Order: sequence, then structure tokens, then C-alpha cells
Amino acid sequence: MNISPTPPLLRVEGLSKRFALAGKKGALLHAVDDVSLHIEPGESLGLVGESGCGKSTLVRLLARLLDPSEGRIEFDGLDLATLPARRFARLPQRTLIQMVFQDPSDSLNPRYTARDTVTEPCLLLAGMNRSQADARADEVAQQVGLPAELMSRYPHQLSGGQKARVGIARALAVKPRLLILDEPTAALDVSVQAVVLQLLDRLRREMKLATLFVSHDLNVVRLLTDRVAVMYLGKIVETGPSASVFEQPSHPYTQALVSSIPGLGPRVRLSGEVSSPIDPPREVCRFASRCPAAQDICSRQYPASRDAQGQPVALHHSGHQSACHFAHWPLPAQAA
Amino acid sequence: MNTAQPPLLDVQDFSLEFRTRSGTVNALQGVNLRLHKGEIVGLVGESGSGKSVLSYALLGISDAAAKVTGGSVRFGGMELLQAGKDALSELRGREISMIFQSPRTALNPIRSVGLQIEDVLRRHAMATRGRTGPDQALGFRERAVQALREVAIADPERRFHAYPFELSGGMCQRVMIAIALACRPSLLIADEPTTGLDVTTQASVMDLITALAREREMATLFITHDLALAAEYCDRIVVMHAGHAVESAPTRLLFTQPLHPYTARLMSSTPARDSTLASLLPVPGQLPDLRRSDLPACRFVDRCERAAPRCRESLPPLDSSAEHSTACWFPLNGAAAAELESCP
Amino acid sequence: MSTLKHARHILAENPTTGIATVMFLVFLLMALFGPWLVPFDPLDTSAGKPLSAPGASHWFGTDALGRDIFSRVVVATRLDLGIAFSAVLLSFVIGMPLGLAAGFLGGWWDRIVSRGADTIMAFPLFVLAMGIVAALGNTVGNIILATAVINLPFYIRVARAEANVRRNAGWVEAARLAGNNDLRILAVHVFPNTLPPAMVQVSLNMGWAILNAAGLSFIGLGVRPPEPEWGILVAEGAQFIVSGEWWVSFFPGAVLMLAVFTFNLLGDALRDIFDPRKRT
Repeated sequence: MNISPTPPLLRVEGLSKRFALAGKKGALLHAVDDVSLHIEPGESLGLVGESGCGKSTLVRLLARLLDPSEGRIEFDGLDLATLPARRFARLPQRTLIQMVFQDPSDSLNPRYTARDTVTEPCLLLAGMNRSQADARADEVAQQVGLPAELMSRYPHQLSGGQKARVGIARALAVKPRLLILDEPTAALDVSVQAVVLQLLDRLRREMKLATLFVSHDLNVVRLLTDRVAVMYLGKIVETGPSASVFEQPSHPYTQALVSSIPGLGPRVRLSGEVSSPIDPPREVCRFASRCPAAQDICSRQYPASRDAQGQPVALHHSGHQSACHFAHWPLPAQAA
Repeated sequence: MNTAQPPLLDVQDFSLEFRTRSGTVNALQGVNLRLHKGEIVGLVGESGSGKSVLSYALLGISDAAAKVTGGSVRFGGMELLQAGKDALSELRGREISMIFQSPRTALNPIRSVGLQIEDVLRRHAMATRGRTGPDQALGFRERAVQALREVAIADPERRFHAYPFELSGGMCQRVMIAIALACRPSLLIADEPTTGLDVTTQASVMDLITALAREREMATLFITHDLALAAEYCDRIVVMHAGHAVESAPTRLLFTQPLHPYTARLMSSTPARDSTLASLLPVPGQLPDLRRSDLPACRFVDRCERAAPRCRESLPPLDSSAEHSTACWFPLNGAAAAELESCP
Repeated sequence: MSTLKHARHILAENPTTGIATVMFLVFLLMALFGPWLVPFDPLDTSAGKPLSAPGASHWFGTDALGRDIFSRVVVATRLDLGIAFSAVLLSFVIGMPLGLAAGFLGGWWDRIVSRGADTIMAFPLFVLAMGIVAALGNTVGNIILATAVINLPFYIRVARAEANVRRNAGWVEAARLAGNNDLRILAVHVFPNTLPPAMVQVSLNMGWAILNAAGLSFIGLGVRPPEPEWGILVAEGAQFIVSGEWWVSFFPGAVLMLAVFTFNLLGDALRDIFDPRKRT
């Protein structure tokens, strides 16, 4: 068993978020369902999954923009889930967790200059006065490689890469302990993406920052993360060290995902309809309807997480584990 | 694919500019491009490369501020730049079709998908190959359902009546493919058809497009910023940078022997299976401002480590008839000539 | 680019905008300095022969009581613009926050505010204004109030729509992460971004408010004679149109029309000036 001796920085247990559906009385959409994960200080955890898997909701729960239906979000021992999202913006704990958003064009106030954007959290959260905030803004701008003369520009006068840097600078301005990166390079060109990824990696190491890196691009996640969690329909189906999960994906969904990366040979084809996240039956594996390896038991019993030897694992195990009755069955790979 | 035949689409020395409030943007300059029947060509470039602008110009649906400043676009022998509005309108949907990014926004939200396919069929009814006679009216509905079936949409009779908002992104894209291919065009232009789709859906949509293309011997121009995706599905790749077509090569050759420095940089900055962060070499510098009137002949010159004064003065043209060609005086394999033939 | 320089750029670009701005400045000057610039005292009944046609000494002619129409029209500008401006300001100050809250917070806020706006809009607006003035009393203050009330729904709707769109924008979420609570987000982030469309609304409303005030005065509510006001001036001349003295109604009416036209044109220009995205 792999339990680290120091307590993790972030420990999430049994986190769920259910949305009531307009129109259908009593029907609930299980966006995030009983998710548990942890991040050690200075560690980078990747979160991958396709649209509708609930990763955006999970991210917003962790960033405390949304209140969970149940579960614990322990940060350094303090359960943040007990602090309501409505009031969280003004609490001192707000500086602990910050986020870089997906679309740099959408995440910057069009009427704020870059300087306004970066100094705002300093003024509101770090109790700085204007000159202190300006100094801090200059300092962090230099760290992210943003030339000083660009600080007085508006977003529409900046390139995609420059806007991305402003977003990163804003997140780092208040010295958070955990940085959530929500697809930070998805909207950028591939050459700019490389630069931003290298920057993020450098910052992470220099500042010993713990990060949660959310992306649909598996190649990118592999580069920047120590461990990775794979999400499907609100549940985490596989976690483990990044290299291990990508080289030897054990959950059938992860296998399909990894094989879909262009250029990697035969692809696992998924057929059938995605099952509904609305009132899902508790005992059925969510992936069963599309799984090429599904068996009878998959519709009768929700699989527990097991490690590579098939043994059940503890809640915050750091090794490679997946929630499948038949993990590691080699799937019949269909020819491309 | 038979390159001995005359090309289906022959773009020569094509230049286009946009007149905007802040100046004239030289969006495309001297582009040479050829497509043969049945060939799948990938047009790869980053934002600002002009790839989408080129595709819109081919169809004659450019923005009002666009102005063609030179060159020719011949499709099946016909000069598109001199064709009248009616002639172009006849071509679109029937001979040349296009599928767009963001399928849900490209479809009419208040019309059922089946009817949207029928619309195309009706528009080109007179010229639709192989169907004549009194059963034409029934034919439209059936043909639309058939089109849905051909793009692997299950239960097509029922889905005929569905609206775009009821369908997933992947299904909307399939509908768009069905609309584009309903009249069996000979050229399909696919403008970033899988951007925004999940990676598993992306794979199945691309499989579908290429399968249909092969089956119907349809020439396909696949526009994307994703080099790996193009490598997976295209016979040949043309790389674009800042309005120029800089290299054209069969896929395998492009990856094993890239000639243009930009191509090499593009490949090295794309994370691949065995990359490490340190191994990613981004493209230095930035795109030149295309509004400048003093643009150098080679627009990559300020970002290139092999640049020489000659590169600012003139640029060798890309030879679209050669198998592997680049628009560079100092291509990476060291040959000074801009044209290369590769041994079979 | 500073606001002023940007403003000049916008005005130079589009000739109709330039014309509208010039006209607006003319009206503004008339409103501010009118009483000192006019050749005759607007209330002086011995300025000239009653009902004399427009000529060299009386550009717009004289009315039935011998007063110079030109002077009356110019001096009336102050009252008309003043009423319209006050009404629009009142409407803006009350309507925008209500609309922003409704659009951004949703839920009960939205229901109450929207139903309120719907109730106002259920009435023919001019009739409602008449009713309010009749009920509260025949004063200029009540005209302003009535005009403000009937214009509220427009601001509520504009603010609500804009806030609703921006509610889910990335930068709103980012603002929460930066320490903004809902109130601050609305006031500091969302509101300035909703100004451009609101500015168009403000300008159009000015035109509408002028018409409204003139209309109420025309039917005898609100401003009382001999106070010069465009609506009253038109009313005073209405009976003379048939008998051939067209100028008594025509000139006040024409100036009224020009004023409304000016504000309509200005709406677009104002929006361009306030939109930072147009600054290149």
C-alpha cells in the first residue's frame, strides 16, 4: 500500500454534486458522484475526461465556486466544504486555491487592463494598498514572462499567449497553495502552447506549487503531471502515476481514450449510447453500456477500485488503481 | 488517386487581401495548391495562417471586405474566380461541399435535420446525378434518410425529425457531413471538422469522412491545426504559415524529411508520445503583422535561424506539381533547389 | 487611447455621427444660454404684431399674442431637455440596478422585478403617464416622475439581458476567485460592461422622453402656459393651421422633431465611444 506519511494538501472524500432538473420533478443529474482524490504538497495531479464527465463541475467544487451536495474537501486539515461558496470570495481561505481558466479571451474582463486584472486580487484578498499591489503585479508579470509595457493593455490588444500569461499571473498573484489549471492551453496555437506549458512547469517547480491539471489532451497531461485521474460520467474510473496510466491503461475507458490519440496504432472503438447521468442506477457500472468487455456482473454490481494485482485499495492510495471488475483484461483492439 | 491525370482543383499563385479599418491585411500570398480526384490533402497551419480564408475563397463565400489580388483557381477546368454568382451557387453543394467547425452552430437550429438535408437535395434536384422521373418527390425524403444512414446515425427514420439541439456534438457533425455529401460532390472541404469534439468522437468522425471519401473517390481538403490528426488521415499535407503555402509533401515524407524550418518547428512543438517538456521546441517569435506594407518576401524570415538577406528579397514558389516541394531557399536537407523529387 | 481621443476618432469616422453631435451641441447651447441669446423676451406680448409671418425681424413669426416664436422655441429648449434629462436619469438610476440584480441573481429577484416591469408595460405608456400626472398633480416634477416610470422597463430589460449573458462569462468566475462578492461583481465588473447597450437606450430614451413631455403638455397636463415648452407651443398654434398661419405650430414641431432625431443618431455614437473593444 502506498500511503504517504505526511497528510496530503488536499483530501477530497465522497464528493457529490447533484443538480435538480427543471421540468422533471425529482429527477437529479449526478454531475459528480462520490469522488475521492488527494493531492500531496507540490504534486501535480491530472484530471482527464471527455465532455459530460463532470470535470468542470468537480473543478468548480474544488475552487469553491459551487457548493457540493455532500462530501468533504479538506485543505490542510480544514474542511472547505463547510464554508459556503456564496461567501467564500471574501474569506481569507480564498487565497489558498486559485485557478487558471480555459479560454483566455473569455476569462479576462474586457474593460480591465492587464494591470487591473492582476492587481485586483492583491487589493481585495492580500490586503495590499495600491503601490504594493502594483509592485506585486510587476513581480509576477516578470515571473510569467509578460513584458512590462503590455500591462497597460486591454485584452483585445493582446495575443492569445499574452492573455494566457495574464490569467496565470492573476492566479499566482496571491501566492496560492493549490493551482487549478482548467485546460489552460486548449485555446492556444500549438507553438504558443509549448511555451505556456514549459512556463507552467517551471513555475510549479520554482514555487513548489501543487496543481490540478485538467485537460482532454492526453499528450499534454502526460507531460505535466505526476499522477492522473480519469473521469467518466461523474465518477473516477482510474488513477495512478501518469506514466503507468498512459503506458498500461487498465480501465476499458482509459484504454479507449489512450488509443484515440492519433498516431498510436489500432483504436478501440466504442459503440452504444452513453448512459444518462440522470438518476443513474447505483449498482451498475456507468461505462457498461459502451464497454467492449462488459459482462453480466457489470450491470449488477458497481466495481470497487482495485490495484494492478486485483486487490481492493484504500481510499487515498497513490498507486495505479481502476474501478473495473476486469481491469487489465487486454481488450480486442480493432484494426484502424 | 492518379496524379498523372489533370488535377481536380488547381490553385495557382492565389493572393487575397482584406480591407479593414486598421489597414489592408495581406491574408494570402502566391498560394499554390493542387488536389487530384480521390486524394485526401491536409492543410495544416496555426491561427493566422490563412487556411480558413483560403477555403472560403475557393467556395466564393469570403467576407465582403476580401479582395482577390491575383492568381487563378481552376476547378475541373473552370476558372472559379471569373465565374458568376449563379455558376458558383450551382457548384456549391453539388460539386464542391464544405463542412464547418462547431457543427451545432452551423446547422439551422429551428429546422429538423432531415429537412435540412432535403433542402440541399431539392436545391440541386435538376442536376442531381442519376435520378429523373416522376418518383422524384418521394425520392427526396428517402434519399435524406439514406444520407443519415450513410453517416452511421442509428434509427435514421426517427432522427430525421430531430432538431440540432437534441443531438450530441458528434451527431450534429455527422448530420453536417450528410448534408455536405448528399449530392455526391467531387470535392469536399472540411474546415476543422473535429475541433471541439471529444477525442473518441473525433476519431469516429474522421474515420467516417475518410471512409466516405475513399468509397466515392472524392477529393478532400482537410483543414486543421492539428498536425498529428492530419498525419493520421491524409495522403498529403500542405503546411501554411502567415498566408503562404510553405511546404507540400506526402505525409510520411513530411514527417521523416521535413524541408521547411517552420514545418520542423511545428512538429517539434507538438507533444507526442515520447516527448518530454524539455524536448518541445516552440516556434520562436511571432507571426508578422500582415498589415505591414513592407513585409519580407519570406514571412518566416524573422523567426528562422537559417535566414539570409536573400530571403527578404524573394521567395522560390512552391511547386504544386512536384511530389515534395518547399518555398524556401535553404531547406533542411541542405539542397539549394526548391524542388525535390523523392525516389519511389 | 484616451476616451477623448477615441471619441474624436469615432466622430470623425462617420459623418452622420458628426452631424448629430453638432446638432446636439447646438441644442445644448440653446438650453444653457438660450434666455440670454434670444432677440426678444419670450413672454413679451408686444414684441411684434400678432400672427405675423416669418420675416427678417421675426424669423419664426409671431403667435396670437404677439410673442416672438423664435425666442419662445429657443427658450423652451431648456425646459424640454431638462425634463427629459431628469426623467432619463431617474429611470437609469432605478432601472439599471433592478435589472442587473434580476439578470445576475435570478430566482426571486428576477421574478419580482420582471413581473413589475411587465405590469408597467401592460399599459399603453402614454396613457399611464397621463394617469400618473393626473393622479399626483399637474406639476413639472410629476411629469418627470411619470416619464421616468414609463421608461423603467426598458432599462430593466437591457440590464437584465446583459447581466444574464455575462453571468456565466469566464471573467465573472475569475472575479469571484479574485475576491469579489456578488455585489462588487455587479457594480464593478458587470455594470461597466453593460454600459454600451445602455448608452444607446439612454439616447433613444431622451428622444422619447422629450416627445412624452411635449405630448403631456400638448394635452394640457404638466407645463402651464405662458411657460414656453415645445408641446405647448404646438398646442397654441394648432387652431391656426386651418386658417393659414402655419408657422405658429410648424417651427416648434420641427425643432421638436430635430431634437428627437438628434438623440436617436447620437445613441450609436455613444455606444461606440464607450466600447473599449473599438479602441485600436
